Amino acid sequence: MNEGPLIVQSDKTLLLEVDHERAGDCRKAIAPFAELERSPEHIHTYRLTPLGLWNARAAGHDAEQVVDTLLEFSRYAVPHALLVDVAETMARYGRLRLEKHPTHGLVLVSTDRPVLEEVLRAKKVAGMIGARLDDDTVAVHPSERGNLKQALLKLGWPAEDFAGYVDGEAHEIELDQTEWSLRAYQKEAAESFWHGGSGVVVLPCGAGKTLVGAAAMAHAKATTLILVTNTVSARQWKDELVRRTSLTPEEIGEYSGSVKEIRPVTIATYQVMTTRRKGVYSHLELLDARDWGLVVYDEVHLLPAPVFRMTADLQARRRLGLTATLVREDGREGDVFSLIGPKRYDAPWKDIEAQGWIAPADCVEVRVTLPASERMAYAVAEPEERYRLASCTHHKIDVVRRLLDQHAGQPTLVIGQYLDQLDEIATALDAATITGATPVKERQRLFDAFRAGEVGLLVVSKVANFSIDLPTAEVAIQVSGSFGSRQEEAQRLGRLLRPKTEGKSAHFYTIVSRDTVDAEFAANRQRFLAEQGYAYSIRDADD
Amino acid sequence: MMGTSSAAPGKGHRSLADQLRSWPDERLVELLRQRPDLATPAPADSSQLASRAATRSSLNRALDLLTRLELSVLDALVALSTSGHTTEPDLVHILDAEPSAVEGACRRLVDLALAWENDAGLRPLTGVPDALGSMSQLHPMTRRTPEEAAVVIAGLSPTARAMLDHVDSGSGEADAGSARHQIAPADAASPAEELLAHRLLVPGRPGLVRVPGEVQIALRGGHTTRDRIDLPPTVATSARAADLVDRAAAGAAFDVVRRVELLVDHWGASPPIALRTGALAVRDLKATADVVHLGDKEAAFLVELAAAAGLVATWPDADGNPAWTPTDAFDDWCDDPVAARWRTLAAAWLATERLPSLVATRDDAGKTRNALDPELTSRIAPETRVMTLGALAELPEGQVIATGTGPASVVSRLTWLRPRRPPSRADQVVAAIDEAAQLGMVALGGLASYSRALLADDDPAPLLTPLLPDEVEEVLVQADLTAVAPGPLTRERARDLHLLADVESRGQATVYRFTASSVRRAFDAGWAAHEVHAFLDAVSRTPVPQPLSYLVDDAARTFGTVRVGHAEAFLRADDETALTELLHHPRAESLGLRRIAPTVLVSSTPLDVLLPRLRELGVSPLVESIDGTVHVARPDRRRARPRPARRTEDARLEARLAQVVTALRAGDRVSQTRTPTMARLTPIGSLAALREAVETGRTVLIGYVDNQGVSTERIVDPVRVDGGWLTARDHRADDVRQFAVHRIRTVNPVDIAP
Repeated sequence: MNEGPLIVQSDKTLLLEVDHERAGDCRKAIAPFAELERSPEHIHTYRLTPLGLWNARAAGHDAEQVVDTLLEFSRYAVPHALLVDVAETMARYGRLRLEKHPTHGLVLVSTDRPVLEEVLRAKKVAGMIGARLDDDTVAVHPSERGNLKQALLKLGWPAEDFAGYVDGEAHEIELDQTEWSLRAYQKEAAESFWHGGSGVVVLPCGAGKTLVGAAAMAHAKATTLILVTNTVSARQWKDELVRRTSLTPEEIGEYSGSVKEIRPVTIATYQVMTTRRKGVYSHLELLDARDWGLVVYDEVHLLPAPVFRMTADLQARRRLGLTATLVREDGREGDVFSLIGPKRYDAPWKDIEAQGWIAPADCVEVRVTLPASERMAYAVAEPEERYRLASCTHHKIDVVRRLLDQHAGQPTLVIGQYLDQLDEIATALDAATITGATPVKERQRLFDAFRAGEVGLLVVSKVANFSIDLPTAEVAIQVSGSFGSRQEEAQRLGRLLRPKTEGKSAHFYTIVSRDTVDAEFAANRQRFLAEQGYAYSIRDADD
Repeated sequence: MMGTSSAAPGKGHRSLADQLRSWPDERLVELLRQRPDLATPAPADSSQLASRAATRSSLNRALDLLTRLELSVLDALVALSTSGHTTEPDLVHILDAEPSAVEGACRRLVDLALAWENDAGLRPLTGVPDALGSMSQLHPMTRRTPEEAAVVIAGLSPTARAMLDHVDSGSGEADAGSARHQIAPADAASPAEELLAHRLLVPGRPGLVRVPGEVQIALRGGHTTRDRIDLPPTVATSARAADLVDRAAAGAAFDVVRRVELLVDHWGASPPIALRTGALAVRDLKATADVVHLGDKEAAFLVELAAAAGLVATWPDADGNPAWTPTDAFDDWCDDPVAARWRTLAAAWLATERLPSLVATRDDAGKTRNALDPELTSRIAPETRVMTLGALAELPEGQVIATGTGPASVVSRLTWLRPRRPPSRADQVVAAIDEAAQLGMVALGGLASYSRALLADDDPAPLLTPLLPDEVEEVLVQADLTAVAPGPLTRERARDLHLLADVESRGQATVYRFTASSVRRAFDAGWAAHEVHAFLDAVSRTPVPQPLSYLVDDAARTFGTVRVGHAEAFLRADDETALTELLHHPRAESLGLRRIAPTVLVSSTPLDVLLPRLRELGVSPLVESIDGTVHVARPDRRRARPRPARRTEDARLEARLAQVVTALRAGDRVSQTRTPTMARLTPIGSLAALREAVETGRTVLIGYVDNQGVSTERIVDPVRVDGGWLTARDHRADDVRQFAVHRIRTVNPVDIAP
């Protein structure tokens, strides 16, 4: 019997006992091909998925390596069917290749004729391919490069893309590392991306994804299009690039609702890209405005569906996706894989935290009991009103107040979903609110003041969920959320998980109403926290 | 092989029966074990045993057991025996094999009673030439040695030689066309006539000529075959550490046991209806495959395995339709340790004639074959499995069959070992390897050590148990409300956890998830909150996370706010006093009335009894109609009674064979005391006498009743006895005639020169 740390289940989950002496080695060995599903305190669960295995294939691992790793670390015998399945799944990747042909342009080549026949007969593929050149080769319309890859993935025969990239318009970009230096994992992430061609780098919030982007740009030394979630985050990207690279503010353009600049490095928001006028995407020309050498997608997991379609047409350009999680609420992980590229780098949150780059967090759920009158109102309310009623109880304000007392002097964020509730809290606590209605300038001012320590408390709506760097926040109090989204929880926690100066730990409170849907949604979010390995506890508001 | 025979001349026997009589008991037992059809029904004496051994069907079965070497030896023996008597050195001389191999083959032929020894050497049993049929590669010989034939062949013209080679490499027979048969070598006008003149082609079947045996041998370089016949094809192998094979196989073994349990347990809750043939519908197979997390083919194997092991059987469900339902044996099986459970499954698989690999394939009519379809059987399936695994067992330790070429080489080895098996056998071999891998007998192409023990009839448990995950008592409880059992749990622990939490992932480890509803389920089963806490403390290796304790308390807090109870009927009245009066009525005691609210009574008496009784008491109730459906409690788990097992047990078989031999000896003694004529007057006696005459080539006088009912006596040379007919050369007609055996009244040997 092998005393390994890993248990391989026949339903393709891998259970890793973290307290085992070989757990570290094992984690490193399985990370390339298994997706970390949850990482609570004792046993981490990984899952073997076709995408994960293909990601590994794309990174140069073969089935034998995977099988050997499983056999080496497994405590018990590994189910035979699973090994066979791993080998078969991995063998599916790369049977089909997209290549450049000297005379026919883009072609689909197969080493396995039956597979080629199978996919050519599929309806989905029919419109994307051209003439059959010989038994193993078929021409592909260059414009369908992305769509074809998407369709082939759905058919279970993902194609390997060897058709290469255009270099794009050269533009000198250097990292300016005089006052700082790239962290080891950032460097590693940028390099594995560059060697892979295109793909996604997965790093937790606060781990410095912007810098990975900057490092990739320094590799490309070409004009770059950066797509981000919103204007505030676009400005942060700009500041960061000016500070960390040889780029000057004049070389960087912002392309958003308010400003439309096209410069060698252009930062555009998803929102402006998806704006439609009379049913037509009016800003599509940006994609062709310059001969981009690199396209960076920030927060890939939020990439809107229209941008996917646009990305399908950008297959000849290098693409870098940055994200904290590959999990998409809409389940379109496969599109990320086929259109942006396979995962090129991944580091589990806890690992980076242990390296001291992000702050450990202490998560507490506080439960308040609704008074009898509110309970009755809740009980008879329409289902769609229930969540709002439950999460906006006035009792929560008392709890917020008590928590603020407890953490007096520490920079605090109060986060919520409902504007009425936020206004009410802000009035009660005499604090500033930031919502979607707040002008960008005002938002910027408040964030700056918060970062500078001039403002100790901000009440924010979900506009603050993404990409706004508030590294000084030490306490976050969540009063309502949007129906228990896992991704939202990651973002909110991310507000706090920025490097802290004195190794202080952050506090994350969620206030929920007992026995209501609020508690049910909260349970969903907590599960995410616990699965990410954050110890959390539940307290009653009365204690 | 038990016993050895001496081929030395002079120790010969008059007939096969005579030889059988001279054998020691052990050798007879061994014969009956190898050819079990000879023992059922028990033969009366050795003559009868010998005559039964020569019947066509029994011969076919016996020939099925021979290897290519043994078949070739028999073939050569048949060819030689037409030209006279044959000794072992003769055979060694013409066979392309090591002398020791030929001798071994001869011994086995004698042991199987396919050949016997008379004074002059070895003789094939009559019927063997016919039974060999198309398997024979040699024609009868004429009175010429292969060496003499070789000299003649050397003197042929090139065209004649080419023609001879052509005929021999084909069927060995040819249509001579217009060529003249009776011709001197000098007059030959064509290559065919040249060959006929030199008697290199001789008349065979009507209209055809054939190459006589000695010419065939001469053409094949002095041997009966072109290739060596004593070298079984070797299995293509590659190296793989034995402990790796064991671990991988044990993983599969554990898995198959677990999945069968899951599958049968699932069927216990919802038995799938059997189709008219008894088979399982495709839809039910797919549903089952989902339950066990496998593809349809693999799931079909598990279903067949469970059925073969008698863990499921058809049994009428609540509506009277036959449904596949767990048997009592399943409950016993569940109580066994994992290794014993695996053994039950593996033994059942080895012995079953079912062919799970055919499920989901299409039959000749294009219909998809269903799992558990009674037609998916093959008589040779058990033999195929044992021999396939046997081929793997012969590999040295650390060697496994090669991934690509391995199975094909096993097929060709098995074809050498049993050449007379049908071509579909090859598919069965490949399926056997696949199934053995799924079952955990084989992994990575190698036979696991414990499977070797199982094949050798030893208990595999001592070897298998250490390879299986140890049972664990403790689980790891985590803050995300999951608990992980890092190995198989002991039965009690598993039962309790199943109650308290939902299973999220199964395998060698189990992942449980606690939810409010799962905890409430435990409360429903009578647990109290403090008991749950105590259980969690006991079972958790680490401190119980606070959120879980909170969950339990929270569930306890809301548990029981709504109460549900049993009642057959309710009585409702706005008038409280009327109800009170009824409740205290002296004759209402037996109605089981109980007050649950000031204006509501419930009764434990069914409505149809309650109504007349209430009317007797002077109440005239208004009956409220039923709003909703009536829930009829239906037993959740059903059990079928297994069909009686058909498996023959080895010990019983041994005892029976010994009994048969004893009876045989007694029979022999009886027939010795009887006068020869008497023996020949009984139908069995005459049959045995005829066979003996066939064996010995003697002439006999038979009393025969012809079609007109006229009794005659004929002097005949019996040629063969088959299917109730005696074929013999009738001296009077000087022709071969057929005689119905049941019309032969007497058989007496006569001593006249044939």
